[in-house]
Amino acid sequence: MIPWEDLTIKTIFVQGPVPGFRLFLVILVSAALIAADARFEKLSLVRSSIATGLAPVYWLGNAPSRFGDWFGGLFVSRDDLQQENEELKTRMLILERRALKYAALASENNELRRLLNSAEVLDDRVIVGEVVGISPDPYSHEIIINKGQSDGVTVGQAVLDAEGLMGQVVQTSQFTSRVLLVSDSSHAVPVEVIRNGLRAILLGSGETDELDLVYVPDTADIREGDILVSSGLGGRFPRGYPVAEISEITKESGEPFVTIRTTPKARLNQSRMVLVVFQPESRREDSVPEPLITDEEAR
Amino acid sequence: MLSVISYPLFAISVIFSLVLSISLFPADWFEFRPEWLGLLVFYWTFRAPAQFGVIMAWCLGLLLDILESTPLGVNAMGMALIAFLVLTIHQRLRMYPLPQQCLMVFLLLGINQMLVHFVKQLVGAESSGFSYLWPALTSALVWPLISSVLDHINRKLG
Repeated sequence: MIPWEDLTIKTIFVQGPVPGFRLFLVILVSAALIAADARFEKLSLVRSSIATGLAPVYWLGNAPSRFGDWFGGLFVSRDDLQQENEELKTRMLILERRALKYAALASENNELRRLLNSAEVLDDRVIVGEVVGISPDPYSHEIIINKGQSDGVTVGQAVLDAEGLMGQVVQTSQFTSRVLLVSDSSHAVPVEVIRNGLRAILLGSGETDELDLVYVPDTADIREGDILVSSGLGGRFPRGYPVAEISEITKESGEPFVTIRTTPKARLNQSRMVLVVFQPESRREDSVPEPLITDEEAR
Repeated sequence: MLSVISYPLFAISVIFSLVLSISLFPADWFEFRPEWLGLLVFYWTFRAPAQFGVIMAWCLGLLLDILESTPLGVNAMGMALIAFLVLTIHQRLRMYPLPQQCLMVFLLLGINQMLVHFVKQLVGAESSGFSYLWPALTSALVWPLISSVLDHINRKLG
């Protein structure tokens, strides 16, 4: 240790012994934390409480784009607004008509299901969330949304945008949650082809515009342009939401499976509004207790 | 170099760097985003080695772990290592001209990135090549700006 008198003179070189011991200590603690977190997943409570404390950071990160929206809103002319209003009204009429038809179909479907003694109800409740951040790690495809435990969001819920399935909630804090996108390389969704019900597994590829359909036999009836919807097997994702469209099929002679590339339906890197799906309790209980495909397993 | 440092500035700069590390950067260029928090740890340990050290850096790294959703402790360890290395060399670092300081920033943040990358691979992340070193390079490039701006504000407030 440097005597106190020396400190007063050499103010530029104020420093005790090189803090090697502290570094050693800190590395030990870090190693313990990493092991506890990555191998045993004991720290989700710590994580979610600190994340709740960091809510202002998420809020600030999203503030510029919100300010931009507000600022843009100040300079919209009346004509533009009127025109937009007209367009929206027209669109609403079209959608309303479709919804009417859908309501009739849904009630008919429920009736038929009741006749078949099936307890399944065809209505998923959703809440609308906004994307407030994306994962800083370029190799993981995750987004952060502004709905959390206080809105009833729990780990494992499916997240959609207007076009299709986006991913699932993997972590929640009080006011935000973290969503793993279907394009993440550790993510898998059980899907079926809408045309003939052929089941397969859709893996993320690490690219936002591409998903890989795996283990499809050479002889399977599958074509380019087919739409894949979530099959609901595995109990994690609700059934029937569009996930991807097949864009390219490559058959190689000698290989047991075909290579199939698909394009996700959801606009994974553009959507700002997302829907978090709450599955009805009855269906939760009916589902397989242990989800077949979870991200942990795929990892 | 600085006799007085401003704690409010410290707090604000840390919050700002946390915000910067999750947003406000073009999504397509995310690979090249500077390691803002690493730069801050470098700056504050360099300027005020008596006040900020390994433990503080570790705590800040923990916050980054939460934001990045990496296993708790990965970035914390990296930040602590940056602080430790700065503490060991800060007396020489003051004598260095700016380009050489930038080189040290690149080296230290590069070591940090390597450590973080290494641990991430241990716990099972996938990776590709040496592109994880881009943040170290971009951080070295913005170092002159960051240090002069923070110095300026520090002198005003201090």
